[in-house]
Amino acid sequence: MPEVRYQRPVNASVEEIWAFVQDMNNWAPMMTGYQSHEVKTERESVWTLKGDVGILSRVVEMGITITEWSGPSRVSFALKGINEMVSGDGTFEILPLTENPALPEPAAEKRGFFSRLIRWFFRTLFQKKYGRLEGPSESDSPAKAELIFTWRMEAGGPTGPLVNAMLGPAIEPAAQHLAEQIAQHIEGKSRG
Amino acid sequence: MIFGRKKAAWDREVDVIIAGSGGAGLTAALTAAGAGLSVDLVEKSSQVGGTTAVSGGVIWIPNNHQMASLGIEDSREDALAYMTRIADGRSSESLLSTYVDAAPRMAKAVEALSAIKFSALAKYPDYHPEFEGGRPGGRSMETGLFDTNSLGEWAPHLRRSAIFGATPMSVAEALEWGVFANPLNLPYRDLAKRFSEGLVCYGASLVGGLLKACLQKGVTPRVSTAVSELITENGGVKGAIIDGERVRARRGVVLACGGFEWNTDLCQQYLGGILTHPNSPPINHGDGLRMAMSAGADLANMNEAWWCPSVVVPGEEYDGIQLNRGEFAIRSLPHSIIVNQAGRRFVNEAHNYNDMMKPFFNFDPVGYTRPNLPAYLVMDQQYADKYLLVTSVPGMPIPTFMQTAKSLGELAEKIGVDPQGLQATVSRFNQFADQGVDEDFQRGWSFYDHCYGDPQNKPNPNLGRLEKGPFHAIEVHPGALGTKGGARVDGHARVLNTQGQAIEGLYAAGNAAAAVTGAGYPGAGATIGAAMTWGWLAGCHAARREK
Repeated sequence: MPEVRYQRPVNASVEEIWAFVQDMNNWAPMMTGYQSHEVKTERESVWTLKGDVGILSRVVEMGITITEWSGPSRVSFALKGINEMVSGDGTFEILPLTENPALPEPAAEKRGFFSRLIRWFFRTLFQKKYGRLEGPSESDSPAKAELIFTWRMEAGGPTGPLVNAMLGPAIEPAAQHLAEQIAQHIEGKSRG
Repeated sequence: MIFGRKKAAWDREVDVIIAGSGGAGLTAALTAAGAGLSVDLVEKSSQVGGTTAVSGGVIWIPNNHQMASLGIEDSREDALAYMTRIADGRSSESLLSTYVDAAPRMAKAVEALSAIKFSALAKYPDYHPEFEGGRPGGRSMETGLFDTNSLGEWAPHLRRSAIFGATPMSVAEALEWGVFANPLNLPYRDLAKRFSEGLVCYGASLVGGLLKACLQKGVTPRVSTAVSELITENGGVKGAIIDGERVRARRGVVLACGGFEWNTDLCQQYLGGILTHPNSPPINHGDGLRMAMSAGADLANMNEAWWCPSVVVPGEEYDGIQLNRGEFAIRSLPHSIIVNQAGRRFVNEAHNYNDMMKPFFNFDPVGYTRPNLPAYLVMDQQYADKYLLVTSVPGMPIPTFMQTAKSLGELAEKIGVDPQGLQATVSRFNQFADQGVDEDFQRGWSFYDHCYGDPQNKPNPNLGRLEKGPFHAIEVHPGALGTKGGARVDGHARVLNTQGQAIEGLYAAGNAAAAVTGAGYPGAGATIGAAMTWGWLAGCHAARREK
């Protein structure tokens, strides 16, 4: 199952991050390829996204269900394709940095030449379409918390293996993009 | 002073400028570079490969060097007789002879200049194999898979097809596995592995092989750069403006930058049919046509295109534009038909994509209407249970973009088709399916039709009853792989003026030139076969020209 994890120090308190992340209405529009979303219940909604897998993009409708709401540190959700055989889940974790001063980066996966090349290819395409993927900006004040976004997506059905081969490199920049958008929004608000 | 001004008129000089990096442009570049010429290969998009890269990547080479080893006889006479019939009076004997004579030489020359090894497809028939001189296989050739790792930093610049880009299989494998008729037979895990390892197939494979050879010969494509204007002097072409630079081309300029299918104005102005859904990358706007006309070129075959019925998955985009998928499976396999708004069939659905499109444009002179537009593919659940359905295979839900209903009548209402007409058509078609003979349109008569049919379906691989609900439908749009009208060329790929004389220093190949095949489509790869042959002819002639 293609999985990506992106962590980002945020210059805001755990409570400030939680206040934003706990309501999916706040960050759904920040998803890559966001078209619309419709809230069905407190925990359920339907998102329409334009999924981009490098060579082509397709409009995907996803049912989203919040599966865990553990404020102020964790919100998890499950995704299930309505018009495509894809499913997955995602989690936002918020950790205070004072208690985790040296949170280690996950070990870098050893990748072959083509694997690196195809990731570069997808990243380049992504940036061409959605703008530059930027990390945290230099700041005088130290980050107070860390936002960790974990995202897994898997295509089902007989053709699933093929779709998964494309999904892997495609969701990596999308996850970074979402976490960055959220962090920058919170930091802007926090400064304001 | 005068000499000084003349020298300053050029920003730089090369032997050959080539506009466009599809099969025609790359072959011209490889040939010219192989002859020791300096080449400026200019591609206006950010990716190399043009229309060729998203195609099946097959080249149609009659009387090729592999047919004998496959036990298939061919001859110059047979090939010429066949091509003459297919051209339908829209080409010249001279050009058809050139194709028959030069195409096999081109294939060998490309093999000699690159690592490409063409392989003849014994089971891929001509598009009218029963015509005099037609063959049931062997004239279409492919290149197999290509490892993009060998392109190094150029790998991301290789254009890939939205449809075939993630399914690296050779054409021979696709035929053997039964991509359309038996989609669950495909080794999806192996294909995913191939994709992850960087293998590509079809057009991207052919372009990859040509690009690699060009790079090895010192030709570095200039991507995201356009040839905007030809520079003429005394009726000849001396160079071109590239990215604002005046570049002298000592041996000539080759226009190989595709057709005009994405230029709505030109399509309305010239095409005989109504092209609404091109299948090519959205980069072909008639740049070559415009430049050729500016140099005084004569034009030919302007009303023709490489027609192809197309379907749309709403929201599916390629290069930021709605993707129009060429449709080959549904119309050829059992349990499906194409009908107009009256609910009537009007064509052999399984016939080759170029020719079967033409009845879509039939004109009713009394009503001033085109009764076969819009048209719909209609199928029953038996189809969905067995075959490839646009984006889904058996076991996956019916795609939401399909129109679905429990009964034929309900489906007809949904898509705006006359219910009684549709019911009557299906009843008649079901009789044909039972007897294995389509008395109205001969679907399943030709060996070509069978190639895309279901060999397990009896008594005819293309005919099956529509009787099991739910029933499904999708609109079929007039599409094209590209246009096939453009600058008139001779047997050296030189562009001719309206007096029939060659315009010095100007060549055209591929869809920028008038297709030598005229109105027809001889077989799989006739587009690229002709494009590469005339690209090769252009490169050869430029190499022989004096500076």
